[in-house]
Amino acid sequence: MKCGVKFCGGCNPRYDRGSGYEAIKENLQEEIDFEYAEEGVAYDVLLVIGGCTNCCASYDQYVTKRGVIKVWDLEDIDKTKKILSDFE
Amino acid sequence: MLMTGAQYIESLRKLNTRVYLFGEEVKNWVDHPMIRPSIDCVAVTYDLAQDPQYADLMTAKSHLSGETVNRFCNIHQSTDDLRKKVKMQRLLGQKTASCFQRCVGMDSFNAVYSTTFEVDKKYGTSYHQNFLEYIKFVQENDLTVDGAMTDPKGDRGLAPSKQADPDLFMRIVERRADGIVVRGSKAHQTGSINSHEHLIMPTMAMGEEDKDYAISFACPSDADGIYMIYGRQSCDTRKLEPGADVDLGNHKYGGQEALVVFDDVFIPNDRIFLCGEYDFATMLVERFAGYHRQSYGGCKVGVGDVVIGASALAADYNGASKANHIKDKLIEMTHLNETLYCCGIACSAEGYPTAAGNYQIDLLLANVCKQNVTRFPYEIVRLAEDIAGGLMVTMPSERDFRSDLAVGKNGETIGDICNKYFAGSPTCTTEERMRVLRFLENICLGSAAVGYRTESLHGAGSPQAQRIMIARQGNIEGKKALAKAILDIK
Repeated sequence: MKCGVKFCGGCNPRYDRGSGYEAIKENLQEEIDFEYAEEGVAYDVLLVIGGCTNCCASYDQYVTKRGVIKVWDLEDIDKTKKILSDFE
Repeated sequence: MLMTGAQYIESLRKLNTRVYLFGEEVKNWVDHPMIRPSIDCVAVTYDLAQDPQYADLMTAKSHLSGETVNRFCNIHQSTDDLRKKVKMQRLLGQKTASCFQRCVGMDSFNAVYSTTFEVDKKYGTSYHQNFLEYIKFVQENDLTVDGAMTDPKGDRGLAPSKQADPDLFMRIVERRADGIVVRGSKAHQTGSINSHEHLIMPTMAMGEEDKDYAISFACPSDADGIYMIYGRQSCDTRKLEPGADVDLGNHKYGGQEALVVFDDVFIPNDRIFLCGEYDFATMLVERFAGYHRQSYGGCKVGVGDVVIGASALAADYNGASKANHIKDKLIEMTHLNETLYCCGIACSAEGYPTAAGNYQIDLLLANVCKQNVTRFPYEIVRLAEDIAGGLMVTMPSERDFRSDLAVGKNGETIGDICNKYFAGSPTCTTEERMRVLRFLENICLGSAAVGYRTESLHGAGSPQAQRIMIARQGNIEGKKALAKAILDIK
């Protein structure tokens, strides 16, 4: 499965978004290809990582077959891993 | 094409910008220790644009080319663009704790873009087309541009054309078939030496007699006839001390201002955006000032975030972080800082499309934003000094802390003594405590105070300029009508 990753711009993140992303990838990298989202590429799922509840990253420009998962809190990490695993 | 920070720095070396400092020409200004921190600061605006964790704020899609451009070169296409501009500025303030200098260019692009459109509509000129070609050039080459507005102004009671010295406002001294020759200067120019180009705007409202002063144009920073005299900052020569690090406060980044002199500089027709249409000087000034007053609701907030963080660290290192009054001071600092951010976001969210199609901020809210910026950072640094304690201004130098000169009866060195008597909480080393206190010294009253304090007061216009705009936009008559309606007064 191919997962496009888009970060918000990080103006005032309430947690370390990079660490959050690493935590999500942990144990899933064998099943899921994570890559920074690019226009013109079709992704099975798009992972949008925001730094706060606004989660203001723009992502309409990306193509996703099975939808968008948004993360804006460290508490979302385990839930997101479960959703991604279930996608598989 | 987006440049990296390293490519940006190398691109500056190709310029022949004339820079003077301490009465002498500085040939290699890129590597000069007093200037380099400000160049490294601008370089952050390039590097973060390459990082996927920040690209959503740091870049935008050009409405002209469809290509990804640095947001500092963007023409705002929506209120979302306006909000993201403020967020980008907060981010950069957090990353540099400094003025990153590139905002004046972005703000001038958007003001000139919309104003030239309306000048052309009235006068049938081709300034907007000139500017479209110019902004494409800027975007394609990812340039840093100094949007230069402030003339020295001489006697503030006199119009440009009435000054004893006619050069105290930038003016046309010769009109030629292929362009104009300009003379004058722009003062307090943030980031001017670090800019590839200069985009000049008039500094205030003008009458018909001032039409030779109603000019806007762009030129390379190293155009024939341009030179810059570097502005001094408090404690700036600390940067010249051998091995300076801790005592600099911020050893990575800084800001920069200069007097930019135009000594009969030729400007070709295709780089002219206003040339005598004095009735549009006010529009250009108000729009640029409006954008720039919005900017301060982002950049100063980001720096404020670092000041608050450093103050909290100082409290930790002093062993005072559990005291209720310290906690309350940090709350107050946060409240003030986030209030500024609220203003920056609000004036962006309430933005509107101009006739040219780009988005302008809400002028009333932007002026309220900047009016608050003229005050709140001062209270924030007062509280920072309160939390830090007097040591931030009485501490020996870093050379003392590192000195191995024996001075004690038992052979203790100056370094031993300093580290003994200036130790704080066991959670930190004495050097870490020193670093935080020097950072606060630098931001409160050292070279960084230029950007965080006085620039907050006078940058983008002094407080009275905002109060004039608030008076114009405040709709007092409408408010009277509200009161009358409630009170049944006809």
